[in-house]
Amino acid sequence: MSRSSLWLSLVVLALPFTGVTFLIYETVGFNWSELNDEAWRASLAVTLYVTLTSTLLSLMIGTWLARTIYMKRSSWLASLLKWPMFVPHVAAAYLFYLLFSGGFPVYGLFEANERNHLVVILTYVWKEVPFVFLMVVGTYGQLNHGYLDMAKTLQLKPLEQFRVAEWPFLVKPLLDSFWVLVAFISFAYEVPALLGVTFPELLGVLAYERLTTGLFLNAFESYAVALIWTLFIFTGVVASYALTAKQRRRIERGMRR
Amino acid sequence: MSRILVAFLIVFPFIGLFLTFPTSFSWDEAILNTIAYVISIALVNVWLGVGTAWWLLFTESRWKSWVEWLTFLPLFIPVLASMFGMYIALAQVGLIGTYTGVGLVLLVTTLPYSIRLAYNAMYVIGRPLLEQALTFAPLARIGFVLLPLLKESVRTIVLFSTVIVLSQFVLVQLIGAGLIPTVTTRLYQAYAGNDVSQALQNTWVLVSLPVLFYIGLGGIFSIWIRLVKGRLQ
Repeated sequence: MSRSSLWLSLVVLALPFTGVTFLIYETVGFNWSELNDEAWRASLAVTLYVTLTSTLLSLMIGTWLARTIYMKRSSWLASLLKWPMFVPHVAAAYLFYLLFSGGFPVYGLFEANERNHLVVILTYVWKEVPFVFLMVVGTYGQLNHGYLDMAKTLQLKPLEQFRVAEWPFLVKPLLDSFWVLVAFISFAYEVPALLGVTFPELLGVLAYERLTTGLFLNAFESYAVALIWTLFIFTGVVASYALTAKQRRRIERGMRR
Repeated sequence: MSRILVAFLIVFPFIGLFLTFPTSFSWDEAILNTIAYVISIALVNVWLGVGTAWWLLFTESRWKSWVEWLTFLPLFIPVLASMFGMYIALAQVGLIGTYTGVGLVLLVTTLPYSIRLAYNAMYVIGRPLLEQALTFAPLARIGFVLLPLLKESVRTIVLFSTVIVLSQFVLVQLIGAGLIPTVTTRLYQAYAGNDVSQALQNTWVLVSLPVLFYIGLGGIFSIWIRLVKGRLQ
């Protein structure tokens, strides 16, 4: 039973890698200086800004909520936090679009389709906080309370308590969530297409538009950007996991009872 | 106090759903396509996710760490970026614009999450409990032991794959070559045409489908578990 499903899974999971291989094949002989135009440069800057802001905010708020809910045992908030997970990203984007595109009291303070992409960030944070919460709350569930008690007995400041008794165990789930979110947010179409502006566009939106408009004449630009971005994130993943490997392994050994 | 503020921030976007009520509900091809995709992708995800996680946990093989990496890495590849590559690849075998092609890429985006979720759940349940199930025939093993034990994670897998499938616009549009309408692609057309009530009707469908599946599956599971427990008496 498990063997046949393993083979099917392997075939399915090999497809993204096949896709990347085809991208490499297609971009051989591509003139890379074509990417050095204003639209792509502005897009890179705004993509980094939106991705990092929403990812870091989601990680911080998600961890804070997991911590609060674990400490205060408020199960009603934990179940309420599941709600955004039932809303697909597209639907969430449209709901925020309805609220922030005029006619609502907060209009003017926050606004859809403006250059700072605040509503895009807000949508992502709203959608991703429950995901981060889910990734982190398990760690809090199996946290050894002895470490925290020890830190308190040694009269460390609250921030120091967090750093020695909780942070080391959070590194792995937070690192996993960080890269999942960065990979997802930095190269997506659905949310920024509804809530963004025509200049500067996020990488995913610009790449999709260059790919599909004008009889595929600019398709190679999009292929090249998709390839570089994948390799960039891949390098980041490998580097950060290699750097934290020693620490994570020590924690994993210590956690096993 | 801060908890009440957080609760408000979680709930307030749902106000948007009640701004304008959808005028009339029409049952069309897009909705049928969407439901067919959601159900089939969810079923395949549960099957492949649990099966692969079982292999990863219980099989001794020197390829194991490689397989683990292969199931883990696709989470870190931007879906849209690898989709451009898959578009070229699938065009070679003539799957662009077909139902099979779209189904395949939808499976590609959901499966890594499902394997991860199933693996974590089975890791928590632990080897001893699952090993006892090995004496059963495969069907009995799945029906009487695996599904009741994995009730919550099967629901989560179905929820994740449903929500991810419903979120995909570019993927369906690109691989389906615009020939396969779903509720999501309709939402973008309605949005571009400034048709608020049509767009809102599609939003209602997108939000209520995952909720219905989650609650329905919970109901089916509790009935099944009661039947299985009845066998003990």
